[in-house]
Amino acid sequence: MSLSSRMAVVLTTVGVLAGAFLSSIGHLTKERIALNKQREIEKAIIQVVPGTSSNQSLYEEKKLTIYGGMDEEGALLGYAIHATGAGFQDEITFMLGTNIDLTRINSLAILEQKETPGLGAKITNMESFLRYWENKDCSQPLSLRKPAASSPEELSPSEINTITGATISSEAVLNTVNSSLVKTRELKEDGKLKLEGKNAR
Amino acid sequence: MELLAIFISAVLINNFVLRYFLGICPFLGVSKKIDSAVSMGLAVTFVMTITAVVSWAINHWILIPYGLDYLKIVSFILVIASLVQLVEMFIRKVSPPLYQALGIYLPLVTTNCAILFLALLAALKEYNFLESVVYGFGSGIGFTLAIILIAGIREQLDMADVPEPLKGAGISLIVAGIMALAFFGFSGMIK
Amino acid sequence: MPARTASEDFTKGLWKENPVFRHLLGMCPTLAVTNAMINGLAMGLATTFVLVLSSLVVSSIKKLIPSQVRIASYIVIIATFVTVADRFLAAFFPPISKNLGPYVPLIVVNCIILERQEAFSSKNTISRSLIDALGMSLGFLIALLVLSAIREILGSGTFFGQQVLGTWFEPWIIMVLPPGAFIALGILLGLANKIEEKSKSRR
Repeated sequence: MSLSSRMAVVLTTVGVLAGAFLSSIGHLTKERIALNKQREIEKAIIQVVPGTSSNQSLYEEKKLTIYGGMDEEGALLGYAIHATGAGFQDEITFMLGTNIDLTRINSLAILEQKETPGLGAKITNMESFLRYWENKDCSQPLSLRKPAASSPEELSPSEINTITGATISSEAVLNTVNSSLVKTRELKEDGKLKLEGKNAR
Repeated sequence: MELLAIFISAVLINNFVLRYFLGICPFLGVSKKIDSAVSMGLAVTFVMTITAVVSWAINHWILIPYGLDYLKIVSFILVIASLVQLVEMFIRKVSPPLYQALGIYLPLVTTNCAILFLALLAALKEYNFLESVVYGFGSGIGFTLAIILIAGIREQLDMADVPEPLKGAGISLIVAGIMALAFFGFSGMIK
Repeated sequence: MPARTASEDFTKGLWKENPVFRHLLGMCPTLAVTNAMINGLAMGLATTFVLVLSSLVVSSIKKLIPSQVRIASYIVIIATFVTVADRFLAAFFPPISKNLGPYVPLIVVNCIILERQEAFSSKNTISRSLIDALGMSLGFLIALLVLSAIREILGSGTFFGQQVLGTWFEPWIIMVLPPGAFIALGILLGLANKIEEKSKSRR
């Protein structure tokens, strides 16, 4: 066999074997990887819309997905807004839970962030940031209290306490929350957030 | 606006060298002289921009439609390797002076992790075509900027009294560390 | 190449030819994933997996591959095992896979792996290549763990996520950030050179 044909044969064989091997690995792991992703989303929805037993994706665009959280009978309990926005370093992705009327925030969960550890990364911390989002009135756009108030009682109903030393990260989350709420409201008014299936109302 | 944000972020905030630690090998290897740093930077920028285009095409027209996600790593690396070969041959044909300047750096680019990372990250971030191109170009510029800055400092370091064991890679890494610290000042530029 | 014993094949990777400290190979993952012990360990093990299996395959088919296409074949073989490692982590250890992100696929272009195929596995028997790959991987793993330990303890006050320094300790946040990685590795390389110098002058 000449050298060039031997080269071709060897390369093709290596390529085909590798491809075949990978496709079996790909199929073996595919479901599990998809399941992992789905579970993560589900967990976050249950966290921000308490009592959710099933959920449905109602609207999807780049950087914004809105899920409806439903109870066992399939009645809507609230919306879970999965949104991504610019942070201090890189993008921040969170899940925001609201009531059906979009007037009250149940809670906020940060899913992905690459903020500065020890400063901006405190947005994932319950004590310094997330607790200010629990049960918050959001009929008005939310605003940031800066410099930070020393006790939560000083905050007005639509105010969120700033993380000391991480104003930009706090602001980044706030801005994305506000804009995604505006967008969600618009969609709801346009009647685009409807449950599908037999329990739709 | 979005495109400008991607560009600035790639050059300054999420600089490939100083934040993602990519391309450290050429970074340490060819950052002794400003001239060679410029050539290396240009070669990388050039290949990165083309890689962004080609990897986007492969990802959107082949891998995603046919559900071949598991072939991503293999196909990207093979494409990058052959692309560098093609670019090398092309430049040698059309512009011998450019080949003289970039020639020896091009093969080095293949094994530069920055290129593969670029292809993977653009796919991960689900950038569209234009965004991918801007991201590739910006990342290349960011690499060039970092490597030129370091080369400038290293030229001066030759005259400094560096402790013997730290000479070479050691002091370069420490300089890179201080520069990474300085680049932190750019964080938060994009809102 | 002078014939060496199996133990020499193994131990050379630990110090004398340590990929990170002596040969400055595989710098990207070394810097990028060493902000916590668990990430360093996962990256070290993933690299071990890829290096050992690639060496095994390359050394067993070395006679079949014409030298003109050897690099391309090696890259395909390496990329295959890297994909396996990547998918495996994503399927069974999603949090780790998320932490390491695109740095797992980057094992493909980790110079250590291609360099060992080219310099060793393509010229030596299967058993020697395996021992060499294990030694080199262990050397790489040790380097990752040393750097992760320094960065995690100083940067977060923890070790494998467990608090080891008291509450009096204010973490040096910079150590878990990119600048800390560069500076810590720079100083470690200086130390490694110093030790090497000392041991040479003693000989």
